[in-house]
Amino acid sequence: MNLLTFSGLIVIPLISSPLVYLAGRVGTHETTLHRRSFLVRGLALLAVLISWLPFSVAVQKFFMYGVQKFNIETIWLRVDGISLLMAGCVLFLGTLVILFSGSYMAGEVGEEKYYAMLLAMMGLMIGLVSASDIFNLWVWFEGMAISSYLLVAFYREQPASLEAGMKYLVQSATGSVLVLIGIALVLAQVGTLDMAEIAEAVLRSSVNRTSLLGAGALFLIGFGVKVALVPLHTWLPDAHSQAPSGISAMLSGVVIEIGLIAMLRALAVLTGFALSWGILLMAFGTLNILYGNLLALRQTVVKRMLAYSSLSHVGYVLLGLGIALYSGIELGAQGAFFHLFNHMLMKGLAFLSVGALMYGMFLRNGSHAALKVSDLAGAAQKYPLVALAFSIAVLGLGGMPPLAGFMSKWQIFVAGFETQNNWIVALMIFMALNSVLSLGYYAPLVNLMYHKEPSQQVLAGKPLTWTIALPLIVMSLLIIVLGFFPNLINWLTVPAGAELMKMFGS
Amino acid sequence: MTFTPLNVILFGVIALLGVGFYGLLITRNLIKVVMVLQILIKAVILALILAGKMSGSTGLGQSTAATVIVADTIVAVVGLALAVQVRRRFGTLDVPKISTLRG
Amino acid sequence: MAAILVPLVILLPWLGAITIWLVRNEHPRLQHILAVVFSILTAIASLVLLTTATSETVIHIPLGKAFGDLTFVPDGLAVSLTAIAAVIGSLAVVFSVDYMRGDEQLGRYYFLVLFFIGAMTGLVLSGNLLFTFFFWEITALCSYGLISFYNDDPKAVAGGMKALIITQVGGVGLLVGTLIAFVNLGSFQISDLLAKASTLPAVSLSLIAFSFLIAAAAKSAQFPFHTWLPDAMEAPTPVSALIHAATMVNAGIYLLARFYPAFEGVPGWKMSVLLVGLISALIAALSALVATDLKRVLAYSTVSQLGYMVYAIGAGGVLASQFHLLSHAVFKALLFLAAGSVIHSVGTRDMRRMGALGSRMPLVRNVFIIGALALAGVPILNGFWSKEYILEVGLEHSPIWAYAIMLFGAGLTAFYTFRMVWLVFFGRERDQLNVHQAGSAMKFALRILAAGSFVTWLFFGGLNGLLSTTLPFHALEHESTLELVSAILSAPATWFALLVVALGFGFSWVRARGFVLFGGSWLNPFVDTSFGFELVNDLVVQGVSRFAERLRATQTGELNWNIFGMVSALLVVLVVLWMGA
Repeated sequence: MNLLTFSGLIVIPLISSPLVYLAGRVGTHETTLHRRSFLVRGLALLAVLISWLPFSVAVQKFFMYGVQKFNIETIWLRVDGISLLMAGCVLFLGTLVILFSGSYMAGEVGEEKYYAMLLAMMGLMIGLVSASDIFNLWVWFEGMAISSYLLVAFYREQPASLEAGMKYLVQSATGSVLVLIGIALVLAQVGTLDMAEIAEAVLRSSVNRTSLLGAGALFLIGFGVKVALVPLHTWLPDAHSQAPSGISAMLSGVVIEIGLIAMLRALAVLTGFALSWGILLMAFGTLNILYGNLLALRQTVVKRMLAYSSLSHVGYVLLGLGIALYSGIELGAQGAFFHLFNHMLMKGLAFLSVGALMYGMFLRNGSHAALKVSDLAGAAQKYPLVALAFSIAVLGLGGMPPLAGFMSKWQIFVAGFETQNNWIVALMIFMALNSVLSLGYYAPLVNLMYHKEPSQQVLAGKPLTWTIALPLIVMSLLIIVLGFFPNLINWLTVPAGAELMKMFGS
Repeated sequence: MTFTPLNVILFGVIALLGVGFYGLLITRNLIKVVMVLQILIKAVILALILAGKMSGSTGLGQSTAATVIVADTIVAVVGLALAVQVRRRFGTLDVPKISTLRG
Repeated sequence: MAAILVPLVILLPWLGAITIWLVRNEHPRLQHILAVVFSILTAIASLVLLTTATSETVIHIPLGKAFGDLTFVPDGLAVSLTAIAAVIGSLAVVFSVDYMRGDEQLGRYYFLVLFFIGAMTGLVLSGNLLFTFFFWEITALCSYGLISFYNDDPKAVAGGMKALIITQVGGVGLLVGTLIAFVNLGSFQISDLLAKASTLPAVSLSLIAFSFLIAAAAKSAQFPFHTWLPDAMEAPTPVSALIHAATMVNAGIYLLARFYPAFEGVPGWKMSVLLVGLISALIAALSALVATDLKRVLAYSTVSQLGYMVYAIGAGGVLASQFHLLSHAVFKALLFLAAGSVIHSVGTRDMRRMGALGSRMPLVRNVFIIGALALAGVPILNGFWSKEYILEVGLEHSPIWAYAIMLFGAGLTAFYTFRMVWLVFFGRERDQLNVHQAGSAMKFALRILAAGSFVTWLFFGGLNGLLSTTLPFHALEHESTLELVSAILSAPATWFALLVVALGFGFSWVRARGFVLFGGSWLNPFVDTSFGFELVNDLVVQGVSRFAERLRATQTGELNWNIFGMVSALLVVLVVLWMGA
């Protein structure tokens, strides 16, 4: 085991997680509290920064030698285009969130738990995307889920976050039961859990195709809970709006996408059904887009609105993937992965900006209130940078150029039209109109922030710190750059798209 | 369907799953919800062992089952811990009464 | 040369926008200076660009399959519109120095204005349909931001939202057309679409043609999307002059003119374009007859004049439409800026409260009258030549009833123009209004535009030369200014049209003597609802938001219900898979 290979990317966060926790617990003397908090933050940041080293090594190796296999003791892992893209997303957003949380979470009770759980969650997610065994996939998934329950319910003094955490736990656990039943069905048919072996074994004539379809449905719904497919989404608006802002960014920016990857990996082993999965993904995608947009339209709490908008953005990604699976157009997969990456950037930025406003307007005044849409009024006067960042984020989400979201949506449109299938083209037009509809709730947010009459909350707001501002600047710049030069991210999205097509054998 | 031991276990699995989902659909007490989840997980553990046995890879089935036991214990612990906190903040375990987030 | 100028006219204003944003609102003087400097530099660059027009691609950056190659083609159509955008843009910015003095959020204002100018030039210069769409959407975004600029006013917010949503819905048309073209051609290049249009399947080509028509109608506020422009008048007046009269609304005309050779042969397309223009011109002119808000009258007249341009394209007169576009950009910018001076001076837009202002602000009165006469089509102002040219094309190439309606429209134009001038500057004083004198920057911009209204028709030969030499697909004949003049003056239709205009003035004058220029009219209910289309908008908006509100009930927040969602989804998926297999 070499820490400088991809395994380091999993092992470093996982090992540093308990270390960070312990660093925050040893020496319980009150006077050292401040210094300890500093130590915790520093350690967490250090751990995540070190993780970039194995990542860059893994990237180099991938481009030199292609798909890599390696092991951590007896667990075999596999690094392909998708793992690389997702690991990049997790690491990127994780780094910025840890930086951001430095001020945001300072002085919270249990700060050390926050960083420990966050690091563990990152390590587990990176493990998940490189799992090569379907049961291991579940284990990583469950581990990630458990750490995210604790993070959602982090403010345990707040009844609402407890409620959100509880609902999230029950629904997610039910979903993972479904996944396990699916795994049992597959195991009963083929007697192996290695994904590559299953993919071959399911083609044997002794295999009962119907029960494989059943297993596929179970995977779709089981993992679908995390992805927030529409009738299974009910936990998401609660969890995403109640978690600490950094965690909301992680949940919306990567966790649901990781769930999607888990779903795709599991579905891919059931060779020969790509068409069915394609249709189902498109159907759920359509439902998600429409439902997410309509529910976001009338929300009064900003984070809840953003949570609903995540539903619709998952929908765009699902549409792109569905197109790729249904008609074998690789551009659809690339577009979907591009949008996934952009959604990570834009939604991450949106939640972090909201977090920055909440920090200045509420947390520093000792309140844990939710940020209402009306509280945004005039925010640009006191927080010009945050207002600009938030505007960039939401306009990007609404698909306005010259921002990244426009380009990735465009790529999905191109793929959809390339199918020359009237139904899919109609879906694309529907998707475009929904993008317009989504401006119906994004644009007023921007408008409100540039009011001349600031709200009471803005007037009482306190200044921000540079650790909060820096992540916002980085992400805003990246969103603009990708809006002009969408091909800059091709090195990550093209291999991911190719890998998806290979996984589903088309 | 013949009355082999495997079929009996299969029947047991299905019955437990039925009980579990039915329970999730009607239970309103948080502790009971966690218990119902446990029933579901037990069904799954049985199913995994059964699947291993049916496909001839008994070891695989058993080792996965053992792992699931560990993971589900953690879920149960977290769930119960949250339930304790819920009882403390809301003063009740009745699910409808703690459902404040809606719309 | 062009390879430097093209990025310059796009990036200079953008650079200015960012610089002004970074300067921050604490230094308003510096912001004004920077805005003027950057916009004038852009205008100079755009004028130099006129001399280097070519049908060749000057910049070429490949961006991969889904995005095509980013190219810019500074042909005649593109450079003339670039020059209009940049020159009028710079005049609007100069005007803003006085108009926006003392505003707290100058940074945002100039950022959006300059960002818009760059996007507008990009839109016309782009040789790639994706980037046409890209810039198209940026102009919509800037327009939204500027309409809602005074965003503590709910009317401004609503107007901005309406403009954004309607133009975006139209934008979907551009998106669809572009993608259909791409699927058939494998390229986003405009030149490819123009060159290979005849090889496309007929269905695809007509889909593209009508999608583009939808996009153009929405952008240019044409029927049935005409409802947004009057409400967009909440924007600061220099913005109305620049975006909602002289440039952005011309993007639709540009799109139709650009692709006219490709769509010409699509059955029913030309007739549809003609009808869209005709209906817009007529109903907007009728609306302008009764409106009492000065800027709304101008907005209706913009819709009406854009209708003339669309009509011209429908009749096959691409050149006529571009000529009128140039004239209209100048005289309408003049009218808006002059109206802005009036509004700035007296603090209201309501014409019912104005009256007899002429003697107190003579310069503004004079330039406003010049603009008004050009709008009405009185010789020798630029509006006269271009409108006559359009009517002449219409007489030759469109049904006679269409020509008659457009002629009637010219009479209506004269009527509402006279009414507007009379109500604002003449008659009796209806309200005690404090008049502030216009600033020197305002006067400067007004004088230039007033002079422009006299002379821009002389550029006809040059414009025609530019278009005919650099647009290989349009097959335009070369005609000099002199030939145009003799053709128009010798045509009997011209004198007939002038008679109609004179009649319009006459009726208006008669009514003015009787002080019946406003008040109850059988037209009011139609105008208030934009001839029923306001109702459609409201139904859609209210329907969607009501449905969204109802849908919130499905998020009950109850655990059992949530689990029920999961179980039922599982069952549905199982059933679907079962039936599919």
